[in-house]
Amino acid sequence: MNPYAFATSALTSGLVSVLEHYSSVFLLGIVGFIILALGIFRINKKITAGITFAAMAISLPLLYFTTTGPAVSMFGGTIIFNNFGTYFAMVMVISSMFIVFPALQKINLKSEVFYALLLFITVGMIIAAFSYNIITIFIAFESVSIGTYVLASFGKDRRTLEASIKYFFTGTVGTAFIIFGASFFFMATSTFNLVGITHVNSSQAFLIAMAFLIIGFGFKMALFPLHQWALDTYDGTENSVSAFLSSGTKILAFLIILRVFLVGFSSDLQSVYYFFVIIAILTMTYGNIAALSQTNLKRILGYSSIAQAGYLILVVVIVAYSSTSGLGTSVIDFAIAAGMFYSLVYIFMKGGAFITMNVISKEKIELSDISGLAKRSPATAVSFAIILLALAGIPLTGGFMAKYYLFIALISGQLWWLAIIAILNSAISVFYYLRIIQQMFWKEPLEEETFNLTTWTKSPVIISAIIVVALGLLYAMFPVLISTAGGLFG
Amino acid sequence: MFIYAWLIFISPLVGFVLSYLVGIKYRNWSGIIASTSIGLSLLFSYLTYLQVNAVGPIHESVHWFYSINYGIYVDHLSLVMVLMVSFVGLMIHLYAMHYMGKDPNRHVYFAETALFTAGMLGLVISSNLVFFFLFWELVGLCSYLLIGFWFFKPNAASAAKKAFIVTRVGDLLFLAGMALLYTHLVGFNGLNGASPLSIPYLIDNAGLVAAHVGKTTLGIVSVLFLAGAAGKSSQFPLHVWIPDAMEGPTTVSALIHAATMVTAGIYMVARLFQVFQASAPFALESVAILGAFTAIFAGILGLVVNDLKRILAYSTISQLGYMLAAIGLGGFLTIGYSGVAYGMYHLVVHAMFKALLFMTAGSLLLAMMELRDVRRMGGLWKRMPVTVTLMFIGAITLAAIPPTAAYFSKDAIIDAAWTYFTGSGFGFISFLPWLFLVTGALLTVLYTFRMFFLVALGKPRSKLAEEAKDPPLHVQIPLFFLAAFSLGFGIWQSHFYDYIMPSTPIPSAPIYIEAIPWAFIVIGVAVSYYLYGTERWKHFHFAGNPLYRVVKNKFYIDYLFTNIIAERIILPLSAAFSTFESHYNTSVDVVGRDTMKLGTFMRRIQDGIIRNYFVVLISGISIIFILMEILRLI
Repeated sequence: MNPYAFATSALTSGLVSVLEHYSSVFLLGIVGFIILALGIFRINKKITAGITFAAMAISLPLLYFTTTGPAVSMFGGTIIFNNFGTYFAMVMVISSMFIVFPALQKINLKSEVFYALLLFITVGMIIAAFSYNIITIFIAFESVSIGTYVLASFGKDRRTLEASIKYFFTGTVGTAFIIFGASFFFMATSTFNLVGITHVNSSQAFLIAMAFLIIGFGFKMALFPLHQWALDTYDGTENSVSAFLSSGTKILAFLIILRVFLVGFSSDLQSVYYFFVIIAILTMTYGNIAALSQTNLKRILGYSSIAQAGYLILVVVIVAYSSTSGLGTSVIDFAIAAGMFYSLVYIFMKGGAFITMNVISKEKIELSDISGLAKRSPATAVSFAIILLALAGIPLTGGFMAKYYLFIALISGQLWWLAIIAILNSAISVFYYLRIIQQMFWKEPLEEETFNLTTWTKSPVIISAIIVVALGLLYAMFPVLISTAGGLFG
Repeated sequence: MFIYAWLIFISPLVGFVLSYLVGIKYRNWSGIIASTSIGLSLLFSYLTYLQVNAVGPIHESVHWFYSINYGIYVDHLSLVMVLMVSFVGLMIHLYAMHYMGKDPNRHVYFAETALFTAGMLGLVISSNLVFFFLFWELVGLCSYLLIGFWFFKPNAASAAKKAFIVTRVGDLLFLAGMALLYTHLVGFNGLNGASPLSIPYLIDNAGLVAAHVGKTTLGIVSVLFLAGAAGKSSQFPLHVWIPDAMEGPTTVSALIHAATMVTAGIYMVARLFQVFQASAPFALESVAILGAFTAIFAGILGLVVNDLKRILAYSTISQLGYMLAAIGLGGFLTIGYSGVAYGMYHLVVHAMFKALLFMTAGSLLLAMMELRDVRRMGGLWKRMPVTVTLMFIGAITLAAIPPTAAYFSKDAIIDAAWTYFTGSGFGFISFLPWLFLVTGALLTVLYTFRMFFLVALGKPRSKLAEEAKDPPLHVQIPLFFLAAFSLGFGIWQSHFYDYIMPSTPIPSAPIYIEAIPWAFIVIGVAVSYYLYGTERWKHFHFAGNPLYRVVKNKFYIDYLFTNIIAERIILPLSAAFSTFESHYNTSVDVVGRDTMKLGTFMRRIQDGIIRNYFVVLISGISIIFILMEILRLI
């Protein structure tokens, strides 16, 4: 789109409307710059964190009131504001908010940079949540990625640098694939917009575009066999950054995959189904089985987060399969809503699990380091147990409801065999989650003191456990999600 | 209007919690708390009685799940039961404070008996069969716990298991009946929003239900219900648990036999009488025949046992047979619902005198140090005058000697059986109930007085019996109440009948038929005195007689159940299953181990070197593409 057309459309859609819809983005961006500026005055990092948190908290209702309602298309369909996008934007703002205070303790140097970056990443996420154009998506996504490369390097340890470098190298390769894929996409369809592709010039180019984009976005979501950076990165970075990388950015990648492959490639959903069904099975199984014999606690959580990505990606499989076999929109909407619900619960499950690692003061956390936590702080141990049980999908937690809806979607999409594989995988995963719980409750604490039990480390765990349980009771909102699920298609 | 009925079973439930919690620290308070909670139940029952008199049956129900409700339904029938259960339960609890007074775990005992009573009271007033079943099972659980209360005695532990397993057979059949009824009724238009298993709906619209479900199907449902009742009320062939259940404390036996357990089955049949009546005639016929047969069958067994409590246990089975037979006789049109009135009257009278008998037996056993063999007693009337006199009152009531209450209640049943016979054209099958019941009357007199004479008369036949003494008088006060009821309750016969069903006819028979039970009483007392009032019984040796052996071995029914069904069929099966399971377990272990190995291999790929990651990437993606192409070709 040339600058002239852009300006015209900006004027025709109304500058006021643009300002209104982007108000939360402006708010977060401006607060980000203010925080950078405040850094000059060496202001207390707690105040910085407070300002960040407040800005995000304000942006939530702002997002809700300015972007919900009937869908508004801007800049020639590049950006579409609808309820579906709002939901994901809010989920991602929540995921950023979630790590603001837990990060406080470990980020000592240049905390203003950390928080400003977090705000800029959130801006990128919000824009990505509404983008329906590969180039916009790419730019928004890259702004998130580059921000997270820097976030990953924060911390005292040299291991964070190694993790950051690995993340940066592999991430760059992924980006290259995305650009390549985007150009093939343009070759095949003569447009970068995802909605309303009716004509495909060259089906070979279309397929290559699909393959390259799968590699590119698969990197970002850490799908098998593009997952290996994720383990080193989650293991090496600061706990709260791991939490953010494995929850917020992963959900963003999930949303983008949903959008690019289900909307952009809607004329060849057959291939999308074949690609993703293989990837989903491999990802789930790989993550769960590799976690079994692992003894590094953060790596167990890392593998479990790979397995969870496998579950999430099942949504793409169901939708692609039901569209090609003509099962009707109710199944599709149900599956998308299941994915939406899973994303929300996932933020607190996975984020909460990584943030729990803050209670252990060591840098490299082994499974035995958590033994006897129940004796030192029963509340933390019980909360962590609840989070792990939610990840395993045990009833009375939000994790159960999320998995339940997902499996129901699989079954109503007539993918019985896949549901069985997913359930078997869930059963395998119970093993390593229970192993952690066993360590906490039935083993004596180690000789040297490994725990760092303060209010700052304990309360986020307890809060996320409460939220995970509360989300299990909030399944009443599921029909609302179903009604917004159609927004995925613009 | 405040519904007191809810509190009838909630009060002992609270008593259950409190008596245990307080009892942990202060053992002696637990009995007082449990008794108070049951006393409150009696009070609330009385208040509910007044309410029902004023406004008619009380029905409250709350939606539970699917089309199942829970709630309470109190009409005259259930009122009679709650008043009886809470009154007799209170008497037994008061006595138990003496009887169990030295037991170190008495707080557990009282908590359990309070829960037991709560279960029974809840069962009686519940308005839905599912809710009913919940309490039904609670009663079963408590009986298990209490029979095995002295669990350190191996007999008690195995008796508790036996009681639990045997009654479970009946419960399963009852559940099957409920399921059958539910599946046939769910979605039926005639429900008008009621739950398919709602008791008031079923008894008010039994005809409609029968027309929808079909008489034969409803008959099958009824027979399954009857099987449940037979398990709980220990009717043939599920009677085997109750003699063994005598291993529990004697006050528990009194509770089980009089108030809280065995009457549940009878009450269930009485409660659902309309359903039985509306279904095919074989339903109530089988009730009558089963009851009458059990009455005579258990009577025969009662003649040969020497254990004081087991004699009483067999007498209970026999008397429960009378009640069931009375209800079954209602299948004959001119008797109809009054059969329930006859049965319930006998039930209430039986509860009074059986509680009395068991508690006097408890006093005896305290003196005899739990030695239960009647052959080792003797001459106790002189040594324990109050206790044995009370037992005498219980015994003459059990033997239905006029003018005790049981005379009125049992005679009415026997006469009703005669009416059943004459009214249905002198058929042979319809003759059986009368024959069984009237023979049962003779057997009752025989075993009752055999027991009583052996206990009371003659010379003491053991050192313990020589030194036996009455318990203090004040602990026997509850027994005096029960004795007074046993003697005098007959006055209210027609009032009671009319309360269950207005203007119930009192059955009568020709004078020569009426005379038979009287003659049997005279014969029975004379024969037992001849044999057991003196020392003559020592010179008779039955042991070689094959007929005696058959009866002594309880007709080999216990043998059939334990040695043949359990040992020959179920044990080999379970052995086969456990062999399979151990192989299955090994296979699971192997799968687990191999999965772990796979995980270790996968970890090795993750070596932390980026260029190797790209190798994995390229090979992995290539494999996926190849797989995808294969899928597309398919």
